[in-house]
Amino acid sequence: MAGSAASQCGLSNFKGPVMRTRMSWPAALLLALALAPVVQAKEELVTLPKRDTVQLTIYNSVDLTLVRETRNLTFKKGINRLQFSWANTLIDPTSVEFRALANADKLDVLDTSYPAESNQMLIWSVSCEQDISANCEISYFTSGIRWDAEYHGMLANDEASMTLTALVSVTNNSGEEYEDAQVRLVVGSIHLVEEIAALAGGDREGRKKEAYATMRRAGAEKDEAGRPKEIVKQGLSEYYIYSIEGTETIPNGWSKRLRSFVQAGVPLRSVYTWDPNRYGAALTRILTFKNDEAHKLGKEPLPQGVVRLYRDAGANRLSYVGQVSTAYIAKNDEVKVNAGPDAEVTMKLVRTSFKKENLSFQWSGNRQFVQGWDTVEEFKLELQNFRDRDVEFELNLAFNGDFDFESATASTKVDFRTQRFSVRQGKGGKQQIGFKVRTRFGTNVRNK
Amino acid sequence: MNKRMILSMVATAALASWIGIFSSEPVHARIKLATLPDKEAVVVRFDNPNAVLVEEERTISLQKGVNNVDFSWAGTNIDKGSIVFRPVDGSSKVEILSTLYPPGEAALTWEISSPDARSEKFRLSYLMANIQRETDYRALVSKDEKTCSFKHYFKIRNWSGGHFADADFITRDGKTFDKALSQGEAKRVLVNKWETVTLQKEYVYDLTRHSEGKVMTDYVLKNAKEMGLGSIPLEYGKVRIYQDDGNGTTAFTGEDWGRFTPIGDDMRLNIGIAQDIKVEFKKMVNNVENRRGNVYDTDEVDEYEIKNFKDSEAVVSFVLRVDGEWELKNDSAGFESFERTDNETIKFKVKAPAKGTPVKLKFHYQKKNVW
Repeated sequence: MAGSAASQCGLSNFKGPVMRTRMSWPAALLLALALAPVVQAKEELVTLPKRDTVQLTIYNSVDLTLVRETRNLTFKKGINRLQFSWANTLIDPTSVEFRALANADKLDVLDTSYPAESNQMLIWSVSCEQDISANCEISYFTSGIRWDAEYHGMLANDEASMTLTALVSVTNNSGEEYEDAQVRLVVGSIHLVEEIAALAGGDREGRKKEAYATMRRAGAEKDEAGRPKEIVKQGLSEYYIYSIEGTETIPNGWSKRLRSFVQAGVPLRSVYTWDPNRYGAALTRILTFKNDEAHKLGKEPLPQGVVRLYRDAGANRLSYVGQVSTAYIAKNDEVKVNAGPDAEVTMKLVRTSFKKENLSFQWSGNRQFVQGWDTVEEFKLELQNFRDRDVEFELNLAFNGDFDFESATASTKVDFRTQRFSVRQGKGGKQQIGFKVRTRFGTNVRNK
Repeated sequence: MNKRMILSMVATAALASWIGIFSSEPVHARIKLATLPDKEAVVVRFDNPNAVLVEEERTISLQKGVNNVDFSWAGTNIDKGSIVFRPVDGSSKVEILSTLYPPGEAALTWEISSPDARSEKFRLSYLMANIQRETDYRALVSKDEKTCSFKHYFKIRNWSGGHFADADFITRDGKTFDKALSQGEAKRVLVNKWETVTLQKEYVYDLTRHSEGKVMTDYVLKNAKEMGLGSIPLEYGKVRIYQDDGNGTTAFTGEDWGRFTPIGDDMRLNIGIAQDIKVEFKKMVNNVENRRGNVYDTDEVDEYEIKNFKDSEAVVSFVLRVDGEWELKNDSAGFESFERTDNETIKFKVKAPAKGTPVKLKFHYQKKNVW
């Protein structure tokens, strides 16, 4: 098939094998339809089938998009040869499939041939019982298109609730322009045994350069409805499919962001958390909410993405609180958003005493060496709340080895080496929590 | 008695090989005339998993006495030592007396004795390298994930240097298809299709399969007649899985390598991670006891909290491993029966109620004689 300088995957329809024509479809898909037996050269072009629909199913856990397009093709009685080529794209050749949607009982794909001279082309031999036209689907995987979720959380003035806006963005670096495509986004983590980009092969940078040359002509997007598009969510096996209302044109090299949903009044709980293993050394403010009905959510899982938090600063102004990446959040699961440290709520850990006890020795020659000992440490946690509202604390203390833990304040055992204090502190006040740890070393370590 | 009859031809599977008949005298100066006899049956067999056998038939006119037939295969990947040449008719009086291998040539000469002048059909078999084969499958799973249709494709890529104008290709399971295949060309053919195959879906927690402790989603296909399969052993190959989305179209839901699956065995395919099922692990007790010198036992309690955020109950298969000498303690809880599949491994199932209601699993064990 004729190559063009631009990236292309192509579809054309001809009687005989060798006629070459670019399609009007920007993606220039070339599919040739020819009658067998095939002879060389001087074949006549019959029709160029128009592409009727295209659907993109885009995955976010892997670099994969399932493209499905339909066209009405005319077949002659006998063996028909359909040629499909995809020069300068990121299409995985092993994924290309042909399927008749109408008259399927009259059409039979005999084989798929991958000619030696081109690794970006294939030919289907389709036998047909009679002269017919049939709506047919061609599907394939491409890489280079991705989608991402983002969230904006606008905290209310009292920080007890927020307005959560979920956004999805689609970015097309596939080398193809997909015009008027129905776009579906898959939330979930599918298993791939080989990367699609590797199967597509070729020089991706070269494609990007070509893509850049074509991206400018995409022009302004049509705003068909004059309102945000609806995104319909549907469960399928372990995944969710987000279908964007209507069709989208996302030229190569461009991104487009759409609103998935907006929900006001999502109740929030702030917990000042100390957990060095998870959040680092500082006392960290963790905002929690659940993706459930009680929190006015729970209609769908929340895909992994970046959450940016803003605070209402009055007069319709915002103050930026921070951002965090969040993993996939299932329906009914809890969300913890790290809002970072807060200078108005502080914690200080002070060691107030340190002793060594129960020393035991062994002789080596005429000298004694210590072989077992205990350390006894007393600590106080000083919590101070300078804010004008009550706050909650969750303080996680991890220890190593053979230790005993004691405190007058109630704590819970998180796991075999972690104790947790959960306390509240009224506005403008402070409190202290004391605890004592005895740790045994050397031969003092006991069975326990 | 030597005959001076000369006849040669391009060897069938066609390649750049050829066969010639000529007088037996100067072997190093053979005349290779290209009078081509008609090609007859060419068969390419893939029944051996590691080798491709080509068989071709040629009718050769022989004179009474000793005839020399020359066969050469320059530019192709025929395994010289594998060539077997014989009359198709096993009771033929024609005899192959010897085979001569000229130095430095991809060629040989057969000395054939014939009791009379006749046309004799011969069969030539040889192994041919660089014909690649690949099996792949497409499963289309129903919306309810109870059944699927299963398509089996066979793909051949010909890098052998030869050209197959018209050959019967025979797959390992005996399917034959008649195709032309030129050098460098590949062909993919649908060889089997099973319309309704029963499918079993399984959620698996196994740290050796996912070190972060994510729950994997598997489909298990039993290669058995009662499950809609079972007609042939299933070759190793990539399985791409699609699912009916209920809107008249399908979505791709994952792929996995399907291992070679004999009749009666299971093919387990991982499609991805079950994101709506979470397992949280905590070690609640990690004690040392019964110290003797540098030898000790341990007492360990692992707690697993399972949350299934789906709208319906799910059963999760747990595969837990403990190294060395160990025993399970009776107060382990949260699972009823278990199978210790090997010394290190224990398997059991846990029912996880819907909508995130947590269920806890206590795995209490003692490691013995650790040092």
